[in-house]
Amino acid sequence: MESEEDMLDARSATSDDGFYPNNDDECDSDRMSMGYRYEEEDDDDGMDGDEDAYEDDFLQYGSDEDALHSGRPSYTGRQQLPYTVLTEEAITERQDAAIESVASVLSISRAQACLILRKHEWCVSRVNEEWFADESRVRNCVGLIEKSIKPSMTGQRDIREIKCGICLEYHRIETMQACCCDHYFCQSCWRAYAHTAICDGPGCLSLRCPNPDCNAAVGDELILKLVLEEDKRKYRHYITRSYVEENRRAKWCPAPGCEYAIEFTPGGDIQDVTCNCGHNFCWNCSEEAHRPVECVTVERWILKNSAESENMNWILANSKPCPKCKRPIEKNLGCMHITCTPPCKFEFCWLCLGAWSEHGERTGGFYACNRYEAEKKEGKHDETERRREMAKNSLERYTHYYERWASNEQSKAKALSDLKQLQITQLEKLSDKHSLPMSQLKFLVEAWLQIVECRRVLKWTYAYGYYLPENEATKKQFFEYLQGQAETALERLHQCAEKEVKAHLDGDASNVTFTDFRTKLAGLTSVTKNYFQRLVDAFENGLAEVKDSTAVNTTVQASVKGKCSRSKASSSRSNNASRVVDDEGHWYCRHCTFANTGCSTTCSMCHLETMI
Amino acid sequence: MSSSSPKGLSRIAANRLHKELKEWQMNPPAGFKHKVSDNLQRWIVEVNGAPNTLYENETYYLQVDFPENYPMEAPQVIFTHNPPLHPHIYSNGHICLDILYDSWSPAMTVSSICISILSMLSSSTEKARPVDNDRYVRNCRNGKSPKETRWWFHDDKV
Repeated sequence: MESEEDMLDARSATSDDGFYPNNDDECDSDRMSMGYRYEEEDDDDGMDGDEDAYEDDFLQYGSDEDALHSGRPSYTGRQQLPYTVLTEEAITERQDAAIESVASVLSISRAQACLILRKHEWCVSRVNEEWFADESRVRNCVGLIEKSIKPSMTGQRDIREIKCGICLEYHRIETMQACCCDHYFCQSCWRAYAHTAICDGPGCLSLRCPNPDCNAAVGDELILKLVLEEDKRKYRHYITRSYVEENRRAKWCPAPGCEYAIEFTPGGDIQDVTCNCGHNFCWNCSEEAHRPVECVTVERWILKNSAESENMNWILANSKPCPKCKRPIEKNLGCMHITCTPPCKFEFCWLCLGAWSEHGERTGGFYACNRYEAEKKEGKHDETERRREMAKNSLERYTHYYERWASNEQSKAKALSDLKQLQITQLEKLSDKHSLPMSQLKFLVEAWLQIVECRRVLKWTYAYGYYLPENEATKKQFFEYLQGQAETALERLHQCAEKEVKAHLDGDASNVTFTDFRTKLAGLTSVTKNYFQRLVDAFENGLAEVKDSTAVNTTVQASVKGKCSRSKASSSRSNNASRVVDDEGHWYCRHCTFANTGCSTTCSMCHLETMI
Repeated sequence: MSSSSPKGLSRIAANRLHKELKEWQMNPPAGFKHKVSDNLQRWIVEVNGAPNTLYENETYYLQVDFPENYPMEAPQVIFTHNPPLHPHIYSNGHICLDILYDSWSPAMTVSSICISILSMLSSSTEKARPVDNDRYVRNCRNGKSPKETRWWFHDDKV
């Protein structure tokens, strides 16, 4: 995890100074090829502090011990985590403590305390409250009977022998058992009764006396005394599970095979949870963490995918033909920059199948394959033709978002396995080869953690994009712009981490180039982190910077105020800002920073009126 | 263990059934007759409608099949031939009665089941099939056991 200052710095660096901080200052132009330069309004008093903070953040990179060991998303706040990850032993400990406390406060047996707790979500305070409010109601609901009567004397042959109500045979009373009532059954019938219940599942925890007219609960003491080893194990397991499953403050980690539980700390504000197994999930919906996208969107998207996935499967079979030589290519690396095998060696973008050369600096750094341009063909088609066209467009539109969503998921999975590989073997190898201590290599781990986190965020932004209404064009453009920027940064980082490290692993690159590599990768990590932070912030604002264009002036001011209060910053964007014009006469849009030419007052990118 | 593919009775089950039968012969529940056969695993029980009820002077037959691990598991109880017209009895003989399924307890006996069924019949105020009879019976066409149904016990008045 990052240090206190680090995190605060990152926040202030990204949220105080509008949408686009001055990354260019820290990175050489070769890496920062976005084509938009940033100039801050000169009368902004808070800017100096921000600049320093940003620089600190950048320099600190690689000097933070915690970061190496944590997979926590970089957007999680610094405060005490609002949850605890529990192992099975920890669960048992908590159960024991709760049982102990209830048993001593209520002066009842541990078995009885356990029964009561299970019926009250394992909440000690709730048990105490309800017990002292109405003890007999709790007893009745749980099935605790105060034993007062001697074993029933009816149907007795001898004072020492009574008939078991199950096998209908006579047994000596001292060999028989009853729970908290006076209905005695023989041991083997009890054993079979408990065994049947345990085999039926966790319902065995609310087992009642076999007598149909008796409500008495069967406690764990009796069951554990009677049943065989295997059943004891199962029964204990159900008790442990009940702590999580009957408890609204606890949940199992939904990752397959993971046995940790997460317990919510009362009073906390919980959203994303990182289990000790590394799985990130949303506390509310238990789906994979999807911040900044909302649970509803995720639910709709997953439902849509399950309905359409059969369709998509054949469309998006794992291979694509090389756009040049048409040989099928399977994507086995995480980044979208694909190089076909020799002799073709064509470099292209996996997503749009366009030449990669058009994705970089040559196009002014404008990365455009994240946006979906619906082709509206206006022709003289008849009705059926038109409908067919619409269906096709709608499928194409969905395919577009699904493909990008799924590709990022795949890339995330690949990045996770690459990270594992790195931690298992490559770090040691690099450390030997370049005679560097492990601590000097954590920039690599950080880079990969950032990649995993960013792939996750990016993936969900595509689900969001799919549901963004077509008529909110401005919002859409702004969203796609932020997404595009973030994606470009991430592609660069992912490619650097994935490909350039190879030279240092296998080749005989010198220590000098390794230092360069380190600086580059750490820089890219930091830059990418900032772009994503901005993306996430914008989402969490509900893209509030963009409202309908009629109310631009008021909304911009409102959103600026909102931002400042959120980030507790002292600086504020000056409200009477003048237009920012560069040497070549371009003016930069205040909303999207697009470099406009000409003298119109409306930005040709986001169509928001910029000048007052 | 579904009773639709009966396995032999366990020793415990056989012992218990012998005892139940003996007790039945000595003290049969009022209104019921066990039809003598040498099949311990399937009992056919004659039911006579109680006097002063809708089913007075009517005779029905219950078929009781015992699973291998009876009495830990409930027997399968259905009406054969012409099942009585009753809001909880389907035309295929299946009976919607909780103690035959979820609320079964090994401390219950055939005799106690019979008494429950007679009481269910006696408290009925109309001779009618359950509202979902046709749908349910269609779903059970392949000789499904009522024990495979997830019963939902609506009311305990009838």
